[in-house]
Amino acid sequence: MALLKEKDKAFIRDKFEKELENPVKVVVFLSKDEKLCHYCNLTKEILDEVAHLSGGKVLVEVHDFDNEKELAASYHVERVPGFVLIDSKGKDNGILFSGAPLGHEFATLLEELVLVSANGNPPLKASTIEKLQQVDKPVKIQVFVTPSCPYCPGAVIMGHYFAMVNPLIQSEMVEATEFEELSRRFQVSSVPKIVINEGKAEFVGALPEEQYLGYVLQGM
Amino acid sequence: MVFFDTGDAFKAPPSLDTSYDMIIIGGGAAGLTAALYAARGSLKVLVVEKAVEGGQMVLTQEVENYPGFLHISGDELADKMREHATHFGATIANAEVLDVQLSSEHKRVVLDTGQTVESKVLVIATGAGHRHLNVPGEREFEGRGVSYCAICDGTFFRDKDVAVIGGGNSAIDEGLYLAKLAKSVKVVHRRNSLRAEKILAQRAFQNPKMDFVWNSVVKQIKGSEQVSSLLLENTQTHETSELSVDGVFIYIGIVPHTQLFRNFLQTDESGFIVTQCGTLETSVPGVFAAGDVVQKELRQIVNAAADGALAATMAIRKYFE
Repeated sequence: MALLKEKDKAFIRDKFEKELENPVKVVVFLSKDEKLCHYCNLTKEILDEVAHLSGGKVLVEVHDFDNEKELAASYHVERVPGFVLIDSKGKDNGILFSGAPLGHEFATLLEELVLVSANGNPPLKASTIEKLQQVDKPVKIQVFVTPSCPYCPGAVIMGHYFAMVNPLIQSEMVEATEFEELSRRFQVSSVPKIVINEGKAEFVGALPEEQYLGYVLQGM
Repeated sequence: MVFFDTGDAFKAPPSLDTSYDMIIIGGGAAGLTAALYAARGSLKVLVVEKAVEGGQMVLTQEVENYPGFLHISGDELADKMREHATHFGATIANAEVLDVQLSSEHKRVVLDTGQTVESKVLVIATGAGHRHLNVPGEREFEGRGVSYCAICDGTFFRDKDVAVIGGGNSAIDEGLYLAKLAKSVKVVHRRNSLRAEKILAQRAFQNPKMDFVWNSVVKQIKGSEQVSSLLLENTQTHETSELSVDGVFIYIGIVPHTQLFRNFLQTDESGFIVTQCGTLETSVPGVFAAGDVVQKELRQIVNAAADGALAATMAIRKYFE
């Protein structure tokens, strides 16, 4: 059964035709254990549908999380379903999704496929890029979201922009309802909630670029 | 409910020109409708939206009073309005406005992207945000049990006890949404009756999960790591009581987004913009206001849209014909 409505398919096909430049590889890790991963099948299905609408530009590469731990770790994938977006030069942009791209996060995925396909820099201010380039230690940005949260994509995308600038920065969308234990650990009860380096800094809300950057630097 | 949104993620800024006929600040129902009317009227239009097109509408799970749609989600209606505006050529940029500078000829708008854009006519459609209770614990527990967005955060209170503060349409609408997830919803209201529309109030009264605490105001939000209770005061007897809850959703009204404009535009004591009846032009020629940000009696999607139509049309007649 197709997940997307015909109208949405037409929209995506058209958007991809106009906006996708180079191929993008979605490297996705899934588990065969459905009890452990309720959303693995759904994630695979939706990514396949997206790939199908891309005229061959979006490629989906599926891996088994349980048997390919090392490969998963090399992409910083710690949970399933988890996926990263790799550009046509093989660059891992530090853009990580944990959980199915549902609701408003589906729009995030579409925007970011287009962004990564351009093999270029994210649309950040020069001053932001400069500060991010100076980061010399690993930074982990986790953006907790719910699919129904309209403000969440803004926070996810900003984190992903930051990650694109410096390979030491990883930014993970975490679908909070799929990873309850992790959400409890960081006391997530409002989204978007952004956690830097396991809680060294955190904030709630889709803050503008400079304030967001301030927290990221503070959490190092 | 599984759904797939295709449209309203934060987009990379389009390449902007430096000059437009009309700049509209705010991309809710008022701003998008103004954009539609102005673009259809052959103006070159830029809409600047800092968060998500649709504004407060996107927080409404179900809209039942926009004519032509028996039921439509706020999000879907917002998508349609955005498509409609861009279909006729309006440009939408996701950016925050840092400053507005006025001269007799031009209105200059400074964006947080570093760009400055200018136009002959400015439409302020910035809407309003939630009002805070301003009681101890509110700031402290924001994101830890205090929320202003049921559609975003409701899922964290599945099978838990929550309170909704307020008695208007938003409070009751969000309370009804939360009742689908939570174990119980206590509506705390400072009066002894609801201000919400009858149809909403009746649904709330009939909902077995919803209960009402009348004539009561919140004095403090308490907890350790997360919210655990509310300290309430009865407005009649002044007795205090404690209500155990895991979360509290606050809908006690709105504050207009007018900080940037108050020093040069006439606003009322609450900060809403005072406009000329029938044209929506503000105290500054060439600056119009539309939607929730305007001083008025009713704030609905339908009359926000109507404001947008009126402001754009009057701007065209006065400044472009």
